[in-house]
Amino acid sequence: MKRLDLIFSERELDAILTALENAGAPGYTVMKHATGRGPETIVSEDMEFSGLGANAHVIVFCDEDIINKTRENIKSILNYYGGVAYVSEATPL
Amino acid sequence: METNLVLQNVLTPPVLFFFLGIVAVVLRSDLEIPAPLPKLFSLYLLLAIGFKGGMELESSGLGGQVLPTVGSAIIMSLVIPLICFVILRLKLDVFNSAAIAAAYGSISAVTFITAESFLESQNIPFDGFMVAALALMESPAIIVGLILVKIAGTKNRRPDSRPMKWRTILRESVLNGSVYLLLGSLLIGFLTAAHNPSGVEKMQPFTGKLFYGAECFFLLDMGIVAAQRLPGLRKAGSFLIFFAVLIPLFNALLGIAVAKALVLGPGNALLFAVLCASASYLAVPAAMRMTVPEAKASYYISTTLGLTFPFNIVIGIPLYMGLVNTFIPS
Repeated sequence: MKRLDLIFSERELDAILTALENAGAPGYTVMKHATGRGPETIVSEDMEFSGLGANAHVIVFCDEDIINKTRENIKSILNYYGGVAYVSEATPL
Repeated sequence: METNLVLQNVLTPPVLFFFLGIVAVVLRSDLEIPAPLPKLFSLYLLLAIGFKGGMELESSGLGGQVLPTVGSAIIMSLVIPLICFVILRLKLDVFNSAAIAAAYGSISAVTFITAESFLESQNIPFDGFMVAALALMESPAIIVGLILVKIAGTKNRRPDSRPMKWRTILRESVLNGSVYLLLGSLLIGFLTAAHNPSGVEKMQPFTGKLFYGAECFFLLDMGIVAAQRLPGLRKAGSFLIFFAVLIPLFNALLGIAVAKALVLGPGNALLFAVLCASASYLAVPAAMRMTVPEAKASYYISTTLGLTFPFNIVIGIPLYMGLVNTFIPS
């Protein structure tokens, strides 16, 4: 079992979730209003009113083949709009 | 400039709350407004202003000055980004120039609302149909900005850039949440006033009496955001700082000249000038972030929100009123 962590602007949430669903992800968790610091600037909620809000953090637990299926699509979105994605091992309790 | 007008404008609750927000950041107060609330208040302001505008549009009808004024407003939102683009290209690349030009061609609903409050405090009449101009000026500038990128920026786009799809562009410019709500509320206000006067009465406590307080609260948040955006201006550089202060003045003068040609009264002329002079920080940044990610958001947000917006609501509105009084005597 793998864990995929994605952090990117909330504006791209629909595109990322569509990519995950098309790859057959069994489910995912979305945490909105994620703030912090990116490579260029502080990520805050202060532009929430304009739709340029903070980041979203998406966590997916799934098999590796699902991650492979969605890899290129998600990389393309993150390369274009910005954001990070990391895959790690996950052990169920 | 009439100093008295500036003082009267500054000493109104919305502008004072705006300063309160700025001072909170400067003094590092722990004042914080939870994120969903400013969004809710911005939606409320758009709904209320659209609804009231629709009602007044129904009572004034589409004859007389309405169609020429609205048509001229749309033309201005096409012309202003082109002028801004030419100026910005002196120092910036195509993407940043187009994104900033689109922001300045579009409008700021809150600046418009503040100008309406200013006119009310001065007992200067204005017409509700100006809201229709407000609603219709937001989208054309976005489309012009994206056409500029398509024409001038194709060769310079990043290798991983996605081709711009007209469907996406039109969707972003017309169905963007703030534009959609403003246009929808305008239509609902128009239909309600025409066919269901009791509905207007029922909405009044919400769209009428709460409005001024909500505007103050939103401006408090805008003061905080504007102050937080000020450090970004340092990165933008002196060219953009001068641009952010001088271009509203130029656009306002352009607006006043058009208003004079349209024979608008002083109140409507001020609103027309403010529409031309203001810059968008609602629809345009969202659309540009989506379609032109090559442009630095810090540039178009810092200039519009950190400088042009405060300039307009504090000094710009009374200054433009002084110019209107000079060029269009009542």
